[in-house]
Order: sequence, then C-alpha cells, then structure tokens
Amino acid sequence: MSIRVNPNIVPDLIASIEQAQQNAQTATQEMASGRSVNNLSDNPAAASALVNNDALTSENDQFLTNLSDLQGKFQAADSALNNAVQIMTTAISVGTEGANGTLSTSDRQAIAQQVQGLQQQMLALANTSYEGTYIFSGTNVTTQPFAQSGSSPSGVQYSGNSGVTSVQIGDGQSMQTNVGGDQIFTNANGNVFQALNDLANALTSGNGIDAANTEVQQAFSQLTTQRVFYGNALDQVQNSQTYLNQEQVNLSTQQNALVGANMTQVVANESESQVAEQAALTATSQILNLPTLLSYIK
Amino acid sequence: MGTLGSALNISVQAMLADEAALSTTSNNIANANTPGYSRETANFAEAPPVQWGGQLYGTGVELTGITSQQSGVLQQLLNQDTQQQSQYNSFLTTMQQVQTLFNETSGSGLQSSITAFFNSLQQLSTDPSNTMYRQAVLTSAQNMAQNFNSASASLATLQQNADTSVTQSVNQINSLLPQIAQLNSQVSEAQSTGQNAGAFLDQRNQLITQLSGLINVSEIDAGNGNITLTTANGAPLVVGNKSFQLTTQPDSATGFQEVYSQGNNITSTISGGALGGALQARDTTIPSIISSLDSLASNLETSFNSVNQAGFDLNGNPGGNFFVPPPAGGTGAAATMSVAITDPAQIAASLNGTAGDNSNVNAMLALQNQAIVNGQTPLNAYSNLVFQIGNDVSTAQSEQQGAQASIQQVQNQIGSVSGVSINEEAANLIQYQQAYQAAAQVASVIQSLTSTVITMVSSVH
Repeated sequence: MSIRVNPNIVPDLIASIEQAQQNAQTATQEMASGRSVNNLSDNPAAASALVNNDALTSENDQFLTNLSDLQGKFQAADSALNNAVQIMTTAISVGTEGANGTLSTSDRQAIAQQVQGLQQQMLALANTSYEGTYIFSGTNVTTQPFAQSGSSPSGVQYSGNSGVTSVQIGDGQSMQTNVGGDQIFTNANGNVFQALNDLANALTSGNGIDAANTEVQQAFSQLTTQRVFYGNALDQVQNSQTYLNQEQVNLSTQQNALVGANMTQVVANESESQVAEQAALTATSQILNLPTLLSYIK
Repeated sequence: MGTLGSALNISVQAMLADEAALSTTSNNIANANTPGYSRETANFAEAPPVQWGGQLYGTGVELTGITSQQSGVLQQLLNQDTQQQSQYNSFLTTMQQVQTLFNETSGSGLQSSITAFFNSLQQLSTDPSNTMYRQAVLTSAQNMAQNFNSASASLATLQQNADTSVTQSVNQINSLLPQIAQLNSQVSEAQSTGQNAGAFLDQRNQLITQLSGLINVSEIDAGNGNITLTTANGAPLVVGNKSFQLTTQPDSATGFQEVYSQGNNITSTISGGALGGALQARDTTIPSIISSLDSLASNLETSFNSVNQAGFDLNGNPGGNFFVPPPAGGTGAAATMSVAITDPAQIAASLNGTAGDNSNVNAMLALQNQAIVNGQTPLNAYSNLVFQIGNDVSTAQSEQQGAQASIQQVQNQIGSVSGVSINEEAANLIQYQQAYQAAAQVASVIQSLTSTVITMVSSVH
C-alpha cells in the first residue's frame, strides 16, 4: 500500500508562488538600488563595514576641502614672500649702487629714501592677511604682527608669536601650516627689517655701507630659506590631493565590493525569477483544474 | 438460524450501515476545505454469529462507530513550530522597524551626522578663528545631538508598541483559555459515552494552535480526553474544565506591562509565541540598543567636555562644557543629548589662548580615533551596533523561515493523516453506493421469495 499523501496541496503551491515572487522582488530591489545589501540584515558584516567606508569617504572629502583652503593660504604666503625676496634683491642692487664711493651725498640720500620705501613695502607684505587673519602672526592671527616702532633697533615691533599650527590632511597625517613671522622677518640669522634699517641709516650717514650690504645679503638668504617652507607645503598639498583622490577611488571600489550588486547576476536573477513565478502560476492553475474521480461518476 | 426473516434483517442492517458510511463520506466531502477538520471513517464489523442446529450463522454487518483520524503527536509538533514562528514574526515586526532607523545602506542612521561633526572640526582646525567655521561646528553638533535624540525616541516608541502588543496578546490568550477548557469537558463527555468526539477534538486542536501562536504552552494528556495546558515554567493555563487567566500589571520602574499568573510574575519565563517575541524585543533587544546609544552619546559628551574645558575660547576665556553633561551612569544620554554652547566663540579651539591656535581642536579631532567608548572608537562602537542589529534581524529571519518550512512539513504530515481526499471519498462513495444497491437487491429478492411462500400457503387452502 502506498503512503497516503496530504490531499490538500494548495498551501505548498501558494508557498512556491510566494517564493518566486519574493525572489523577483529582491532582484527588482537590487536592480533599482544597484546594491545587493539594502537592509542591515541582508549582510550585517557588509553593512557594518559600510559605516566605516562611508565615514572615511566623507572624511576624505573634508580633507580635500581643507587642502584647497590651505592651498589658498599657502599661495598667498608664498606670493607675499616672493615679493619680499624681490624687495631684498632690489635692496641688494641699490645697496651695491650706494657703496660706490663716487656718489654724492644727495644721491646716497635718495637711495636711502628708496631703501626706506622698500622697508615700507616689506612691512606691508609681512602684514599680509588671508581671509581676515594675518598669515605671519604665529597663532596670534587677529593681531597685526608688525608695526613701525621708533624704539626698536630694527624699526619694527613684532606683536605676533612663534606659535605654529598643524592640520590633519589625511587619516593620521598632519602638516605644519605656518611659520611664525619672527622666524621669517626678524630671524637672528638674518633680520630683514634690521638689515633694511641699517642699510638706510648707513646710506644716510655714508658709514658702514659695506657692512650693511653684507647684512642685507644674509637677510636675503634667510628669507629665501624660510620661503622654501611654503613651497614645500604647496608640493605636499598637491601630493596629498593626488593621494586622497586615489583613496576615494579605492574606497568607492571597496564599497562596491561590499554592497554593490553584480548587475549581470541581478538581471539574470530577475528574468529567472520571473520565469519561475510564471511556471509556478501555470502549474498551480493546471493542478487545481485536474479532474477528480467525482468528475467520472455519472 | 438461516431463515428468510434473518436474511431480510441482514440486508436491512447492511443498508443502515451503508447509509451511515455514505453520510460520513458526505460529511468529509462537505468539510474538505474546513481548516482543522480531520476526516472521519465509518467502522464496519461482522455482527456476532448465532448457533443453530450445530451451525454458526453470520448475522450481517454492524456499524461499530465513526472514527476521527486525528494526527496525535503531529499536532504537538505543529504547535511547537507555531510557537517559534510566531515568536520570530512578532520579534521581526518590531526589529525590522528598528533596523530601518539605522539603515546605513540607504544613508539613514547616525554615521553621517557623527562624521559631519568631526568634519566640521577638521574645517575649523584650518582656521580656528573663523566664526563661520565655528558656527558650522555648533550646527553639526546640534544636528548630531538631535539625531541621537530622535533615534532614541523612535526606539522608545517601538518599545511602547511592543508593550501594546503584549497587552493585546494577553487579552487574546485569555479569550482562548475558557473555550479550550469548555472543549476539554465536551471531549471527555463524548468519549465517556462512546461518542465520536472528532468535531470537539478538531476545534480544540485549532484553538491550542492559535494559543501556541501567542505563548509557549506545554501540553499534557491528563486522561479522559482532557488536555492540561501550562506555560513553559508550569504556570497553569487550562486544567480540565477550568481555565486560569493571565493578568498584566505595569512595572513600577519601566512602566511596561508585566505578565502575571496566579499572582506570580512570569514575564521572564515567557519565550514563545507573539507574546514571547514582543517581550524579547521590548525587554532585551531594544534596551540593549538604547544602552549602546547611551554609552556612545555619554562618552562623546564627557570626552568633548573635558577637552573643551582644557582649552581657551575665541575670547581667551577658559572653555566650559561643550555638551550638557549626560546623566550619571549614562542612562538616557542619547535621549537627552544636547549642546551646551550657544555662542560659536565659546568653542575652546585654542590651547594657549591665542585665536589662531588650533591645538585644542586637534585634541577634539583626536577623540575620533581614541577608544573612548568602552574600548572602541566612537565610529567603531557605532558600526558594531549596526552589525549587532543587522545580525539580530538576520538570525531571526532565518529562524523564522526555518520554523515556517517546518510548519509546512508538519502540516503536510497532518494532512496525510487527517486531510480529506476527494478521490478517496469518491471511491468510497461508489463502494458504499454499490453495497447499498446490492443489499437493497437482496431485500428485494427476499421479498419475492416471501411472496412465493405466501402464494404457496394460500393455494394450499
């Protein structure tokens, strides 16, 4: 005797239709979102990894914004120092001219005035500000760093500090973003303002012009050395931008690997599940329409 | 004794038995689609023979009874699977909404606002005296706090909804229990008088399965057709014809309804059915998520406060609390998270008091990578929570699917024992129809024989 089977096959048939519909729905959802993980429960580990991936992507976006901010500031500083270097070059050439013994006193006076003008220009450059804050003021950014002062031997008074700031430009990576104005303009190894002041005084008095010229030379080379910082900083900004852009590509690739849908597979699944759904429906209607023994009783 | 009279009697008995069988078949066909109906069969037996003149004569057929084809232990398997399936269903009803709150795959959740807060600090670090950047930090901090608030509030609402379904389940249980108790007495009465208790058994099975969808019950066959029902820890639900209602009473601490039986709090022992699933979500899973959020919020708040206090604000004054200090112990921190600072200048970005110093902002940024939340960085603590929620839902989903498949299988097994097969009934119909016709034919022959005898007797006179 054969085993009696459940005569009520409707629940099984409906379950297979529902399964086919659910598969089709999943495939459609994946197709629409382009993602294989649409709920945390679809793949908890991937969803959790996505949290870190998204956060890193967003952080990197911020780093890139920071870098272009910094780039603007560095360019302003670099351009100011470039002008400062040119002023010193001019000072060297007029100093050499002033050292010529054949010059009359009034000629030297004229050159001395020119040097004083250069010092004024230098002062304006040392007080360069970028977006409302002074670049060469250390961390004392709201105070004008350099002011004319009769009591100071260099002719200027520094009101900034030697504070430096550093800013994160990548995950666990920081860079120094400034050099104190005292390092650049009133450095013990070459004081720009002192040198210009001494040169102007020497030209006026006619004494010690050669010594003043040597001083200007030293200040010039010191200034050039300090300017290198901003040149390097600009290079580093560019390098970091390149790195971060590549990192963004990597993160996006990782994200795709984590939660992205394999479109070829999804499209195949979708049409497969449609076929399965159609088959389940056809089978159900055929099975339910099968005649029973009762149909044959006359 | 083999007489015409006894032969006629035999054929009439046969017709009566066939009528009963036809009626059973008809009832089976009528109930072919009735949920919970168990097919019935008419039982025939040979009538006891009589002895006459040294010979044994058969006395025909006898209807000994109608048997309901109950599936017995399969029904208990079905109930156990139903308890599981309903438990996961009810748990998932709540938890699927919970996972939507933290659905990072569609961009909702806390990650973006936590990261945005740290990003605004990154921006501030490039220009610590910039008031616009300071304002952006305040705004993103407020935004993050609001996201914590609303996540916590939504969780509390879902917990409240689960609490409502606890009360509803208890009410449904209480309406089923007296019905089952009454059926207990109907079954035992029918069985004691030798009646077919099939209809009562079917109804009782249906109700016990419904009850299993609400709570985990233990079934004990108490004899005499009675089934004793208790909860998992033995609290009585139905004993004989008596039912024991469950009651609810709000917990003094949480305000949530606790379930009582006979004055005892049995809440923690309930694990199955819709009630078990709702309790699991309300008392275990959601509280654990809220507590993780609280811990994340309170550690962020405390850490930021101490860093902010170590620095100086834009006006050179010492920093105060960045966030309103969380409640002691952290409970409720996510719900109450709020920013204490109202003036952007009060962000203590500087460590030496100068406006351009960003050392203290950098110290705040460093918190992003410090293990300040139970040995984890803030983001890792959050991504672990996301994993935990996803994993809870995914585990419950597979368990639920497993129970569903198991139910389908048991139902097929039950159907193979108790289900009505139209083909089978049609075959029976033909069989009993023919037997009935044959018996009627026999009666007709005997009638003709009897008239032969009567004619013979009258012709003698």
